[in-house]
Amino acid sequence: MTATATTSIAPTSAPGAPAETLQLFARWQQDGDHTARQQLVERFMPLARSLTRRYGRSSEPFEDLLQVASLGLLKAIDRFDADRGFPFQSYAVPTILGEMRRYFRDSGWAVHVPRGAQERALKVRDAQERLSNETGRAPSVNQLAEYLELDTEDVIDALQAIRAYETVSLDAPRVGHDDEVISYGDSIGGEDARYELVELDATVSSALAHLPARDRLVLHLRFVEDLTQTEIAEKIGISQMQVSRLLRRSLEQLRTMTDAPPAGKAR
Amino acid sequence: MGAAPNVRLRLSNRAENVLLIRQALSGLAEAVGLDAVALNDVSTAVTEAANNVVLHAYEGDEGPLEVEFSSTAVGLDVLVADRGQGIAPSIRSGDAVSDGIGLPVIQALTDSVEFRDRPSGGTEVAMHFELDQARPLDDAPGLAVAGEQAAIDPDRPEGIVLGVAPTAVARNVVPRVLSTLAARAYFSTDRISDAQLLADTLVSELDGAVDGPLLVGVTVLPRNLELRIGPLLSGRAGMLFNGEDEELGSILGRLTDGHAVSESGTLELLDLRMAQRG
Repeated sequence: MTATATTSIAPTSAPGAPAETLQLFARWQQDGDHTARQQLVERFMPLARSLTRRYGRSSEPFEDLLQVASLGLLKAIDRFDADRGFPFQSYAVPTILGEMRRYFRDSGWAVHVPRGAQERALKVRDAQERLSNETGRAPSVNQLAEYLELDTEDVIDALQAIRAYETVSLDAPRVGHDDEVISYGDSIGGEDARYELVELDATVSSALAHLPARDRLVLHLRFVEDLTQTEIAEKIGISQMQVSRLLRRSLEQLRTMTDAPPAGKAR
Repeated sequence: MGAAPNVRLRLSNRAENVLLIRQALSGLAEAVGLDAVALNDVSTAVTEAANNVVLHAYEGDEGPLEVEFSSTAVGLDVLVADRGQGIAPSIRSGDAVSDGIGLPVIQALTDSVEFRDRPSGGTEVAMHFELDQARPLDDAPGLAVAGEQAAIDPDRPEGIVLGVAPTAVARNVVPRVLSTLAARAYFSTDRISDAQLLADTLVSELDGAVDGPLLVGVTVLPRNLELRIGPLLSGRAGMLFNGEDEELGSILGRLTDGHAVSESGTLELLDLRMAQRG
């Protein structure tokens, strides 16, 4: 059995008494009664809110986007044609979503990491470090979410953004514990002498030798000495997120250097 | 539809799994170069359809939820299915989602949508999105019929099975799904990063070692992830840990907390365990 979606909206699905709603539309659209318009706005504001929550999750600040949705709601109220027999919602939902979508497109959201997401990533990074310093171990996503009053999904997205996009710069200024502004760039430099002290295992391949000293050190600490990323971060004075990125990049480079066709790998 | 899916998720209709579906979709979107606004459209519609299965397919009980994403030359096809009494009748009546706007939202965001009963029982929502993709997959082979995933089914009903092809998609999807599950298992952020590194390593090293698409079964336990990966060509699972590439073996050994290889016909399955330490 197949049903096309357009036939499936029951006319009774509009909230409130449909007859009353239709009356309000008549008073506004035919008589220009602004009170009726205001009542329609109030009646359908929960719809605008609900759509903002659903469509705008994890993006711009909620209140900004709710304004955009409200504008869409006003347009829908002014243009709705009650004579066609469909409930207002079936017209209002695409109109409001369309307004939000246009807002996203116009604000460059399609091509940049959204501002909200960017800021959240930095917050997560700072909280992660703060909690690690306080407790000596890396926090869980739940702990970060609780600490920052965010959804766990927002935290997971932030971790993903930090991992994936260089646009979430680890050099962005952050507030230190004494509120002095420092950057990760400062805390990395001048360490080369220390790296030289590390004796790498005799088993290391020539591929490893091509990596910079710091990357080799991090690989060694993680995969030979079996330190956690947090312990490595503490030891060499960078953040765990940076250790994570370094490891990812180093492993990728190792794979590229040692890549042989599958047949070559089979003995 | 027609096109073979690139990502298939088989999971239970628990509310927490909707997040997993969104993460898998985000990975696919990255792989094919979908912009953020288009992704938000698809993600919102898929969330509505999946929430319907969560809330209504099994009348309060737990049951299977299946999602497939297929990237085509002209856009994206998404299938959200259950084996229950049917989302379609409830959604058609317009009151399926508590406040009754799930359906209008799906309609507004898709280019076409169909609600169907499945011949094998259950119902499905088939959504089509016409989208520009910066890196379309062309004709890279996707996943075949669903039956082949049986070999990888985790022992527990709440387990999750992810099928993904080709490798270019797996590279983006598998790390996202694994790290989301690691977060659910209460892993710390550094161990979540390890889960991502493990996913990266497996996807790369198993390219060419898998018989067909890469299947990953995952069971989430408190502070533990159990993975089953395959079906691998004979001998390939052991080579990861004990092959000529000793570095690879030690890297995998440090990222995981135990592994085992089992035979499945002429093929192999690799079981891996990751634990939160300390």
